[in-house]
Amino acid sequence: MKARAASLLLMAPALLLLAAVFVYPLLRYGWLSFQASSVLTGLEPVPNGGANWGRLLDDARFWTDAFQTLRFAVCSVALELAGGLGLALLLHRPLRGRGTLRALTLLPWALPTTVMALGWRWILNDPHGPLNAAIRSLGGSSYGFLSTPATTWFFVVLADVWKTLPFVALLLLAGLQTIPEDLEEALRLEGAGRLQILRRLTLPLLVPYLTLALLFRLAQALGVFDLIQVLSGGGPAGSTESLALYAYLNAMRFLDFGYAATVMLATFLLLLVLLGGGWLLWRRERAA
Amino acid sequence: MNTAIGAGLELRQLCREVGGRRLLDRLDLAVAPGECLALLGPSGCGKSTTLRLVAGLDPASAGQVLLDGQDLGALSPGERQVAMVFQSYALYPHLSVEGNLELGLKVRGVAGAERQRRLGAVLEMLQLEELRQRRPAQLSGGQRQRVALARALLRQPRIMLLDEPMSNLDAQLREELRPELRRLLCGREQPVIYVTHDQQEAVGMADRIALLDAGRLQQVGSPRELYADPANRFVACFLGRPAINLLAIAPGRQLGLRPEHLHLAEDGPLAARLLRREWWGHQQLLWLDSRWGPLRVLCDPEVTLPTEPRLGWQRQHELWFDPLSGARLHGQGPVW
Repeated sequence: MKARAASLLLMAPALLLLAAVFVYPLLRYGWLSFQASSVLTGLEPVPNGGANWGRLLDDARFWTDAFQTLRFAVCSVALELAGGLGLALLLHRPLRGRGTLRALTLLPWALPTTVMALGWRWILNDPHGPLNAAIRSLGGSSYGFLSTPATTWFFVVLADVWKTLPFVALLLLAGLQTIPEDLEEALRLEGAGRLQILRRLTLPLLVPYLTLALLFRLAQALGVFDLIQVLSGGGPAGSTESLALYAYLNAMRFLDFGYAATVMLATFLLLLVLLGGGWLLWRRERAA
Repeated sequence: MNTAIGAGLELRQLCREVGGRRLLDRLDLAVAPGECLALLGPSGCGKSTTLRLVAGLDPASAGQVLLDGQDLGALSPGERQVAMVFQSYALYPHLSVEGNLELGLKVRGVAGAERQRRLGAVLEMLQLEELRQRRPAQLSGGQRQRVALARALLRQPRIMLLDEPMSNLDAQLREELRPELRRLLCGREQPVIYVTHDQQEAVGMADRIALLDAGRLQQVGSPRELYADPANRFVACFLGRPAINLLAIAPGRQLGLRPEHLHLAEDGPLAARLLRREWWGHQQLLWLDSRWGPLRVLCDPEVTLPTEPRLGWQRQHELWFDPLSGARLHGQGPVW
């Protein structure tokens, strides 16, 4: 009993902090999502029953954004995991100048997203950007890469992959380095080739690291905001808008705090269901 | 052990150089089919290097590895059909005992029924049936070693390599396992190379011992040959516990006398002073000082010591060395 009290006391600061920055805002959102609080009410919260939630269910923009966010997250995270694994395997091999290469690889990740996104926006600018300049010098004509949904979506994903692939690679590289060399040697002596070693030894042993990277990146990508806000602003015609961006627009542009809170909370619940469900599934798979 | 010329494993002028450093220098060695050869020596002497060259895990800088007359140089580790028991056992942590044993067979495309048959046989031989579902992390050191051995046997290797397979076990278990290991490994068709730094293990396990130091072969022969007729001072010092006494008798000559060959003798030629005694139960070890240097003497545990003990020995036990080079000097020493 005494030990229990002591451990609670020791955890108290962390619990209080968590309550202050996580639990309280969440409860506050929950409360706000049942209020009308916009320019129409003079920004004062007025209870409006479940009106916000009813609106959400009928809000095509919300569901389109949910689909777009999910599509973005799945595509970019899949590419990052595959590319990151390839890069990690490459960097794990004994190459000359491996240390320098590892440091260089990390550079994109070290850039602030806003700076990186501005850079991409400049590269893709029509007609002044370097990409269009290159196309023109090859005899082509300028193209508005950020003016059509398909190319914009492609470059949003590309920019995200470009920035976060090194992080995934680094995480997986750390995982690779925990695998003792003699395991691979033992399997080589058994007659296994490189692909067999990858499939039967390396990948199974990397599963915990792959899972970690997947959870980290999925949580981050599902909440994507800054990259899209700077690179495309959610356009053209909302085709790259994410849920976080939509929530932000509701609060800061439309000044509809009640509905913004509803969108935010719904996003959070969606994420919770997706990640929590995935985690449970994975655990059951492993136990079996 | 003697078979047709060319049968078995032969190393010819084998070298390994890394970054200008010679890890192994022109090693010539032959292991007959069914023979167990111990590669013995201190850390960094080149014994594990040799093993890795035979397995093909590292490339040789020069020289050849021949098996039954066939040069293995161009073959990958998998093609050489060798089995290796690693010091760490190198068990795959994500697989059960069964999975560990089966993986090699799967990789080589052995069909399911045949796989089960071979697996069952080796599980029974090593008494691993009850552990077949366990993960390596749930096994004791001795059990892990048995799994590693089972995996090596399943390989049906043409050469069996063991890299300090007992160094992770406690001393008592090591002693118990020696006969078991010999029964399982030696006397089959394939040559066995057993790397160890423990002379007791080498003597207990091997038909012959090859002693290495600093990448060079010092001597190869039966344990008895190495003990009784060492090629040089290094061999004399490495084999035998407690280590041989080296006495600076005269300029240009050094006398080696093993602690077990010295005895207390009233009219012995060497006067000594007792510093300390260690009682071992079946023997006692005396630490003495003499005018030719410190001495260790093994004698009967119940013997009573005179205040000023004198020591004698038989001339046939004298080993003479060049004090500078450590080379063995043959012929008789001075008459006492």
